Amino acid sequence: MKISEIGVGRLLRISSLLVIVGLLLEIVSLLWFHPLSFVLFAFLAASLIGLGILVYLVSLVFVAPPSAANRE
Amino acid sequence: MIGVLICQIVLSIVLASVFLIRPSLTQAASWKILAFIGLCVLPALCIVGGMNTHVQRSEQTQFCISCHVMTPYGQSLYVDDPSHIPAQHFQNHRVPADMACYSCHADYTIYGPLNDKLQGLKRIYLQYLSTPRDPAAIRIAGGFKNAQCLHCHLGARRFEENPVHAALMDALKSEQSSCLTSGCHDTAHDIENFGHLKTWRPAQ
Repeated sequence: MKISEIGVGRLLRISSLLVIVGLLLEIVSLLWFHPLSFVLFAFLAASLIGLGILVYLVSLVFVAPPSAANRE
Repeated sequence: MIGVLICQIVLSIVLASVFLIRPSLTQAASWKILAFIGLCVLPALCIVGGMNTHVQRSEQTQFCISCHVMTPYGQSLYVDDPSHIPAQHFQNHRVPADMACYSCHADYTIYGPLNDKLQGLKRIYLQYLSTPRDPAAIRIAGGFKNAQCLHCHLGARRFEENPVHAALMDALKSEQSSCLTSGCHDTAHDIENFGHLKTWRPAQ
């Protein structure tokens, strides 16, 4: 399946979900005063947020706007 | 500071939730801009802010001794003996008390903070995924460098006018002679004998 076939809507949903989960994990890491909180932030939260941003940018670059049928 | 960052994260979550529920909103130009802010700009700022907060937090004494194996090292800062170098520095505020560990153990080079973080991650790995070391057996990789002492002491009048320091200055700068292990200031964190040592209790 090509990226352009996925559709903007689905990519935006994936991007939003990744960003939200990453940001929630970042809040947990900020409120947890423990050496592992840095690991949680650097390896999980930041990675998920970064991936979410990447998916959003991919949706801008590779995917054409959805047709009228796909609009909600 | 952390409150502002959490507000920013919550705002970013709210914006991202809008596009999770109704991605079709991005058809309009104004919503496209909002999507760019909510799914790209704000999350990127949250990563930067989070990293900054975590790096600053990891410089705090409380953070360092929150790790189980570092607890006796934190306790040794309260030894009531002026020959104990870390305790003397901590108790007399020769280093900031809330950043006591970082002040002396930071690698003051261009990639120093990165090296410190990698060393910290290695210790976390040893603690949780390997066999944790006995606190008394922990040693600094490569030994304690004079550069970490000279970072503050070099240029200080009392340090430079001391005849022993003056005579050894070149050897100290070139690390041929060690501040700690050449017989001058050889008592650092004596955690093996901590139970027998008198401790200082700061006034509340």
